[in-house]
Amino acid sequence: MTGTPVVETRGLVKRYGEHLAVAGVDLRVGPGEIYGLVGPNGAGKTTTMKILATLLAPTAGEAYVTGIPVDADPLEVRRRIGYMPDFYGVYDDLRVWEYLDFFARCYGVPANRRPTMIDELLEIVGLTDKRNGYVEAMSRGMRQRLCLAHTLVHDPALLILDEPASGLDPRARVEMREILRELRSMGKTILVSSHILPELGEMCTGVAIIDRGRLLRSGSIGEIERSLRASALLRIEILGDEAAVQSARDWLGTDSRIADVLGGTIDADGATRIEASFDGDSAAQADLLRAMVDAGHRVVGFNQATSDLEEIFLKVTGQVDEETAA
Amino acid sequence: MTATGTAVARPPRSSAPREFFAAVNTIMVKELRSRMRGRRAFIVLTVYLGLLALITYGVYIVVAPNVRGFGGGFGGFGGQANASALIGQSIFTLLSIFQLILVAFIAPAFTAGQISLEREKQTLDLLISTPMRPAAIVVGKLAAALAFVVLMIVAAVPITAIVLMYGGASVDDIVRQQIVLLGTALLLGSIGLFFSALLKRTQAATVLTYITMLGLTLGTTMLFIFWTVVANTSDDGFGFGPPKRAPEQLMYLNPGIAMLDVVANTEPGGFGGISSMLRELRGDGGVIGGNVECIGNECRAVDRFGNVLDGGGPATGYWWPRITITFVVLSAILTFAATRLVVPAGMRWAFRRPRAARAAGPDETAVDASEPAIAELPLEEDR
Repeated sequence: MTGTPVVETRGLVKRYGEHLAVAGVDLRVGPGEIYGLVGPNGAGKTTTMKILATLLAPTAGEAYVTGIPVDADPLEVRRRIGYMPDFYGVYDDLRVWEYLDFFARCYGVPANRRPTMIDELLEIVGLTDKRNGYVEAMSRGMRQRLCLAHTLVHDPALLILDEPASGLDPRARVEMREILRELRSMGKTILVSSHILPELGEMCTGVAIIDRGRLLRSGSIGEIERSLRASALLRIEILGDEAAVQSARDWLGTDSRIADVLGGTIDADGATRIEASFDGDSAAQADLLRAMVDAGHRVVGFNQATSDLEEIFLKVTGQVDEETAA
Repeated sequence: MTATGTAVARPPRSSAPREFFAAVNTIMVKELRSRMRGRRAFIVLTVYLGLLALITYGVYIVVAPNVRGFGGGFGGFGGQANASALIGQSIFTLLSIFQLILVAFIAPAFTAGQISLEREKQTLDLLISTPMRPAAIVVGKLAAALAFVVLMIVAAVPITAIVLMYGGASVDDIVRQQIVLLGTALLLGSIGLFFSALLKRTQAATVLTYITMLGLTLGTTMLFIFWTVVANTSDDGFGFGPPKRAPEQLMYLNPGIAMLDVVANTEPGGFGGISSMLRELRGDGGVIGGNVECIGNECRAVDRFGNVLDGGGPATGYWWPRITITFVVLSAILTFAATRLVVPAGMRWAFRRPRAARAAGPDETAVDASEPAIAELPLEEDR
């Protein structure tokens, strides 16, 4: 099955008048992956997902779901995906099982399969005891889980989940994550979006970071991290007065491996912390530290900022700011 | 892996019409489940039938003593039978008109929110992202909304059937009355659905539907009168030549005329106030200022000099078939328009016929027919 990506886009472009919502995104999601689309609000995640869900026609480029071009046979694509939009409502006066039954009918699930399937889905999303409850009376977390269940009624190969954890409390987020893990173990491929990377990082097999319609980085979290580590952010604490700090900054500025020297915040203990983005591995960092000390700077702290997911995200999207500014 | 472009192994699909009606049924089941839930629907139906029963009783109370009063006089002979027939006819007339008015107000209320409410509650996206065709969604919505109106109309038949006991109206009359009521419900329902698909807000859709409904009933009538008056005023002023009239086709839009036509059929011998009015609308026989002369059960239209007017057969049965057919045609057009409107312009491409797989499709994206797609595995085995 390795040869057939469940999702593949090539140079996907979506233009709304003057606004370029998606500007040439290439994605490739293999079977059984949980793939995260991460980016700030308005980055083009929802648009990309809507194109894959055949709710929007791409302006240019190609998009395939299980090998089918989305614009060639949209109805067939719909039978193979379960789509959960970022915003949606529920019907009044409808019970939970009726809601699922309705969508099962919409997807043409035969009548004799529906009752057992509904019970199974409710068990997966943990709503078994709400079977006869009314949809409009459920909490946000329950609705999200119900909507997730509705994407599964026709047993699709691919789930496209747009911000499934938004607006959920921490506990509900954890539950949602657990459900996604379970779905993955059932063999589903999941494309999930979030504007918060850490929310996805732990469970995703792959991540694509998108901003302003462009794909900035893609790969596993580890790969992205490694690619960023080439230019690590160093936190250096210098003891001394302003002149000493300034001389340290000037000294750092002469090093060709240092791209940028930032900051100058004074710590409580009198040291001044400066940050420098440094292009080099650990050995190069050690050399830099020795050279700095040899040059007479009073270094009391020298470490690499640990890049947690949040920081990766900020960094990647921040780089774009610099690129566009340049 | 076979490298055959993007040839896709397709599961055998059921035929298109079957799929369509299955989808219509899906929408109907869901709508009726929520609509018939609780007491609301039953209270509405009970109140409606109660009102009709009251009207029936009221008409009887008012009409019965009066007709008994002039016993054998009406129509010359057969007085007792004619008195009874007059009660039946009165009940039938009032019930028919009252039902038409109720349907005119209820049908729009049930349909004008069908699609705009889905938009307001953000449920429409989920619905149109399913493989169901928009036409099936729209027809299902219309059918679901009309199902209850049809129930109300049909449930009133036993009450209307009381007139059979008195005479004056026949089973045929009741059948025609039902056809006109259902046709009216269909048209007004389609108008409601159309505005519901056209406009974002249910409120605006409801208001516009009612305005249209009033336009079709009162509006066409007033326009007809106004047109006729203006046409005759601009005449040479001497009153020679036949009086001019607005085109009768204007009245093909008026459900009231259809119902009056049905009711007129119960007037003795096909003549009477309503019949004359309908004849006048048609410009048939020039009954303006004319009279109905009855000898026994034989009635005919005469002018004020006693001359029998030509073309003066019973005026009934002319309007209602034309109007009902107009309604059905208009409903079909409106429903089609609603189908176009329910899907955002940017998404209509999704419902066109599958395009031939592109020749330039990459080889590795071909789905291998020999390996089972994840979607085809039963759920139980996955867990």
